Amino acid sequence: MTDHATPGVLEPWEVFRQEKDGDPMRHGGSVMAPDATLAIHYAREMYGRRQESVHLWIVRRADIHDLADPDLLQPPLDRSFKKPGGYVMRDKLAAAREVSGQAKPKANKGAR
Amino acid sequence: MTDFASADSIAMDFTGAGDGRERALALLLLSMADDEFVIGFSDSEWTGIGPILEEDVAISSLAQDELGHAQALYRLFAEVVGDGRDADAVAYDRPPEGYFHARLLDHGRGDWAATIARRWLYEAADAARLEALAETSFEPLRELIAKIRREERYHRMHVDAWLERLADAEGEPRRRLLAALEAMGPDAGTVLAPLPGEPALVRHGILAKPFAAIEARWRAEADGTLRRFGLPALPPTRDPQSARTSHSDVFRALHAEFTMVRGSEVGATW
Repeated sequence: MTDHATPGVLEPWEVFRQEKDGDPMRHGGSVMAPDATLAIHYAREMYGRRQESVHLWIVRRADIHDLADPDLLQPPLDRSFKKPGGYVMRDKLAAAREVSGQAKPKANKGAR
Repeated sequence: MTDFASADSIAMDFTGAGDGRERALALLLLSMADDEFVIGFSDSEWTGIGPILEEDVAISSLAQDELGHAQALYRLFAEVVGDGRDADAVAYDRPPEGYFHARLLDHGRGDWAATIARRWLYEAADAARLEALAETSFEPLRELIAKIRREERYHRMHVDAWLERLADAEGEPRRRLLAALEAMGPDAGTVLAPLPGEPALVRHGILAKPFAAIEARWRAEADGTLRRFGLPALPPTRDPQSARTSHSDVFRALHAEFTMVRGSEVGATW
């Protein structure tokens, strides 16, 4: 019984499941268990006994490194240039049109 | 060895089942079906009162699996006997004396340690029995056993994990496990006690080897596990002649419960 952190003490385990081959692992929910072996059993019962999963990951919640700091994840300055689409141009284009007096071009519906 | 005469008390009409292969096969199927049915129903009593929510779901799901195995085996039995009864009639319409499960399952679910002890003793013996039937010449049973064994693999993982936890725990959990093993130990071997008609089963390739050989293999393995946990070895089987034919008051109470709904309106379509 190498996996007993504190014998008999329940702790949460997060369960990720794959619905079919090729699908990504998605968070399914969590189970309470005193160790990995029983956590796997309970994950199987809660997220796999109706044949709804082909693969499960069972992770002790305490082993997950948590990051939810808004300074790190949602900085207040415009960082849109870091997005794959580049700068957000909408506001600048609108300002340029305002200055030149040109109307916004109609959306190109394409030649059907 | 028990013979067919002592099995008469199981209140079955074997019209059409013959006296040789079919009759022996029918008794084998009934013994397995009743074992699965009784342990499944008894373990299902944990639904709603399991030690923790997750274990409540787990034990309930295992109990459902056993009832599913019982249903499939009762269907095979009904086909072999061919007396017009369906699986439900075989499962529910017999008096308590008509059941042919092993005496080990006459012990009630008891506390959690008793349930684990009973499951562990039964699952290990059942696994040995299923192994001896894996190549059975009776094809419908061979196909069914291939499926059952895949589920039983998980059942054994579950009960092995629990046995280890109770055995390794200090104090009360281990004390309760010891008490349960002491109470049930003499009846553990009843699951693999010789069956009436067993020579016919072996002769026709239905059963790979006599139950005595299956029992010896199971006992060696079980004692090895018990020794590893510092638990006493299993005692010899008590009164093997009536291994499946004399049932306890605990079972009679269980029987009253599981026949209650069906008995409330005989002949009703559910």
